[in-house]
Parts: sequence; C-alpha cells; structure tokens
Amino acid sequence: MALDNYRSNYTFAMDFGTSDFKFGPITCGETPRIVNNRGYFPDKKSVIYAAFESAADIVVGEDVPLYLQSAEDLSTRLIYPMRNGVIEKRDEPAWRVVNALCQYGLNSFKPTANNGFQGYYVVASLSAISPRYMYERLLEAFQQNNGNRMVRAVTIIPQPFAVAIGHGVTTCVVIESGHGNSQVCPISKYPIRAAQVALNRGGGDANAITSEILKDAGYGDLASEESLVRRVKESIGLVPGDLDTAIDEAKKSPRRFRAKYKVPGTRVEIDLEKDSWSRFLIGEYVFNPNHEIFESYFGRGMPRPKDVKMGDTVFKGMLDFGDAIVAAVERCPVELQPMLYREVLLSGGNFSWEAPERLEGVAVDAPTKIKMLLRQKGIKNVSVKMTASPQFSVWHGCIIYGFAVPEEYEWDWQRLEGWMKLSG
Amino acid sequence: MVNLSIEERLVHYFLAMGAQQVSETATSATLTFVIGDQRVNVVVVKSDVFTQSKIIEAILGLGSLRGSSNQLYLAAPRLLGASVDAQVFRSYGVGLLLYDERRINESVPPQVLQIPQPAPLIASPQPTAIPELAELRSMYLEMKGSIAELREEIQTYRKTAVEGPVTTVNPPRPTIMPPEPVFAGSTGQLPSFFANNPWLDVLSKRGREQGEAYAG
Repeated sequence: MALDNYRSNYTFAMDFGTSDFKFGPITCGETPRIVNNRGYFPDKKSVIYAAFESAADIVVGEDVPLYLQSAEDLSTRLIYPMRNGVIEKRDEPAWRVVNALCQYGLNSFKPTANNGFQGYYVVASLSAISPRYMYERLLEAFQQNNGNRMVRAVTIIPQPFAVAIGHGVTTCVVIESGHGNSQVCPISKYPIRAAQVALNRGGGDANAITSEILKDAGYGDLASEESLVRRVKESIGLVPGDLDTAIDEAKKSPRRFRAKYKVPGTRVEIDLEKDSWSRFLIGEYVFNPNHEIFESYFGRGMPRPKDVKMGDTVFKGMLDFGDAIVAAVERCPVELQPMLYREVLLSGGNFSWEAPERLEGVAVDAPTKIKMLLRQKGIKNVSVKMTASPQFSVWHGCIIYGFAVPEEYEWDWQRLEGWMKLSG
Repeated sequence: MVNLSIEERLVHYFLAMGAQQVSETATSATLTFVIGDQRVNVVVVKSDVFTQSKIIEAILGLGSLRGSSNQLYLAAPRLLGASVDAQVFRSYGVGLLLYDERRINESVPPQVLQIPQPAPLIASPQPTAIPELAELRSMYLEMKGSIAELREEIQTYRKTAVEGPVTTVNPPRPTIMPPEPVFAGSTGQLPSFFANNPWLDVLSKRGREQGEAYAG
C-alpha cells in the first residue's frame, strides 16, 4: 500500500465508550488519552460562580470534578451521553456533551502553527447499534465546529469493526460486552450490519445477581453498596463449565470451593461458607440466564433482563451468548459461516473472568465458556480469543483505519463508510 | 447519624479504597496511609476563607513530606473548588480532595513520587499485574516475529546484492518514508499495532475493489 507521511502524523481517533472517551492522534503511540465520557452543566445562578468566575456552559474532561456541586444536582447536571450506547435523537444535552468532547479532544492536541498542518483525519467510533441519525448528528457537529480547520476529513466506524481491525483479523465475529449491554457483530472486511445481534445484558447484571447472593448469605447491609458488590463479583465470581456439575462439586467439597472476600483495610469479611456454590451463578448469569435456578431470584424480585427497543435495535434480554452468536452468523451467507466461527473475538471488561488452577475443569474462562455454549449448539470448529488490549483495541483500530483508507474514498450514506472532507 | 470529623471521614475514605492507616493520627492535620507499596500523606485544610497565595503556601508546606511520601494530597472544603486553579496542583504534583458535609471527591489526582528506598509493604501481587504480564508476553511474541521477519528481509537484500534482484515480493510493511516536509510531533515510527496487520492492505483498497457483497 502507498504510505501517507502526512497521515502518519495527523490521524486522530476518538472512541466513545459507555464510560470513557479515549482520544488522541497517531503520535500518542500505543495509548490514547482517557477522560470520562460525560459532561457537567454548572448552575450558572450559583453564588460560587457569581462571586468567583464565569464558568463555561458545559464542562468536560479532567476538570469536571472541580465543578461538581451537591449530590442532588448530579442526576440532572452530570450527563453520561452514551450510557446505553445510543443517544436519543432529541436529547440535546447529551448531544451538547458529545460536541464538547469532540472539541476538547481536538484542542488537547492542537499542533503548533506553520508546521505543514492542514487538519486531522479524524476517525470516531460509535457502538455497533447506533442508528443512522447518530452518524448524522456527529458528522454535523464536526462540520459546524470546524471554524479553526482542525479537521481535514472525518469518518465514523462501529466499535466491533474497530476491534477487529485493531486485532488484525479480517473475517471474524466480535462480541463487545460492556456494563449495560452486549453486541455480537460479524465482520468480513466490512461490518455486516444486517447480521448484528444486541443483548440487553452486561456487567451490571452480574452485579445484580451478586447483590442477591450477598443478601441470601446474610450480608444484606452490604448488598446495596454498588462498588463493593462489583469488587465481590470480581473477587469470588466464577464461570462454570457446566452449572449443574459445578454446583454438585462445590456442595460435595465446600472447603475447596469456599468463597471468601476480605474488604481491604476494614474488618469486613464476606464468607459464603456452605453457600459457596452460588459463586458459580454469577458467571453463568452473564453467559446464560436461562437455567431454572435463576427463576427463584426472578420470583423474589430481581428484574429479569427484558427485550428492549433502543433506536432501531431490539436488545434481547434472555438470549444466551451461544444462541446470540449462532443467530448473528446464520444471518450471513452460508459459505462465509465456517470462517466466521473460526475467529470469535471477545472484547470488553465483562469477559474478564479468571479460572483458578485448583478448580480446573469446573471453573472456566470466558473463551472456554463460549466454546462450550457453541458446542452445545453443534458448532465445533471454533477459535475464541480475548482481545490483547481490551481497553484500547477500538482506538488502535480507528488509527489504522484512518491511516490506511484512501483519501479519495468518499463518505457513502448507504455503506456508512469513507471520508467526509471538511477542509483542504 | 454520628457527626464524624473530616479527619475521621478521610480515614474512612482511604480505608474504603483499600488503604491502611500507618499510625493513629486521626486528630492531627496530617494523615498517613499505605496503599499497596505507596505511602500517601494527606494534609487537611479546614477554613473556607483561603486565598490563592495561602493555597500555594499550603502546597509548598507539603514539600517537607516529599522525602517520605509517594503521593501527597491537600484536603480542602468544596467551596474552595470554584476559586482554585487545578493547574497549580498539577504543576506541583499535589492531589486535591474536596469535601463538604456529605461527600469527599478526588478533584486532582496526585503525581506518584519516588522515595529513596521504597520497600514493598504488601507482598500480594497487584490485581492488574497478571493482565499486564499477558500483554507484555504478547508484545514480546509480536516483537520476536517482527525481528525474524527483519532477519529474513536482510538476508533477501544480501542475496539481492550478490545475485541480482529476486522476484519474490514481501508483504507491505508499515514503515515510514523520510518526512517531507517535517511535521511537528513526528515520532518517525508507527505504533506496534501496525506490525503485520492485514487490514492495512484491505483498507488501502477501499473504493477500488469489486464484489463488496457482504457489506451491510
């Protein structure tokens, strides 16, 4: 391929994750800059602002904590625009935050004058289930705010596609699982949008079942502390190869499977004792919430993951990951299907499960669990891998995309790809 | 609810982060904690009436703790948050904690300082160490692959020099041509995730290829 010396300096990537906004030019090397994907609308009538300074209408980036006021204010003034991966079309505050983050990102890497700079090639990445209007609004934001000619051309690509690029695999299925939802996206040189499957289940649901387990074990007072529940989940949660076998084994040898967690620096110690088998429910629930054992939790008030519609996409609540992959792959041409099963990439914090050596064969890691779920559906020739750099693989993919795609490949609204030229 | 002093609340705040208090200093103006192998000192400011010069004075006062601390914090009332410049704290490497009656927030994270003889205080491995090791391992394997390829290339060039040009074409590699003109920020090298990435070839053909049947 022809090498582009200009773009080896001035390719810029922006990854709009549910919690974090990762951004920076190619010259950042391996690691971009990260700030929370959020914005704060200060109360301009506040005495503090009247007395001391004139604050901006909206604050984003590292200075947000300096402006935070009372906890009551946070729910209305602190906006996380991409919590669910989708922004409503008319959610103006959320779009203002996105605009402000774009400007903040670019202004953080303003090149010095007279060095040949003619604007960045910007690649932004959105969740795979983003409807078309999100592309329209984001591209519009770049067009309207380009008075300083910081952007020469801009494009948007879906996050799973960027993961596949960052990982160097051209035909694969990418599963991205975050806090609130998960997306299964087949890729074959292009993202196959018509085959995508979205799940209304993510790391937050594993927290919910951990909280129920804590209540049942007599730690109801701790079950409402979200950050503690998350730490307990990460510390004691296990993914079973087969749930029934794992429960039987754990009940037979409770000492071997004992789940204990001491909160550092405190006297608090959580010990599930004879109920230590329930640690397997945490991992199983993420991958497959259909086992009858979960019905007792739903019956006692834990919300069942529901099918919900966001934008143009229906998020399935109870579909297990195996069925979700099969559903996505079977929407693709038959001759492509074996190649897609051959490379399944897992991305996102919700797949970081450890399988302790001493529990080998009973507890498994995420790739093994996905392989087992697929084997149950009769799919055997499968390779499942975790992405090497889960936090930054989207940003890496965007940088490669921005560097390699020819400048003359123009934006196409049907394909949702190509460069939209803004200046130069 | 029991009314706790700000020092006692700070102790709870750091304990909740997994810190251990070094000594029972909950009533003095300086609190000391250990988080992993990091020693953290926190100086508490209580007055709401505090000028910019007083803040700088307080930050400079923290200088005496630099020899014995990895991280330094100033804890101040939230009202001061609107009148102080975060850049001042960043330039001195001092963290800022803002508190009110209900909450304590880290507004500016501190810089990690090196102390002369750091001793690992807690023997257990950091929870991030295992994934980091895995990443280092994959980087090492990637580099090993790149070096093998470079060796191959050098051998090919040697052959070319001795026997004339060979017909085999190596796959395109992400190397940079000499810059013309010289741009600011140029590193002279592409990031490692470019190495052997087949997408470089695939994407460079966008708009020029036939049969893009699978695109959605």
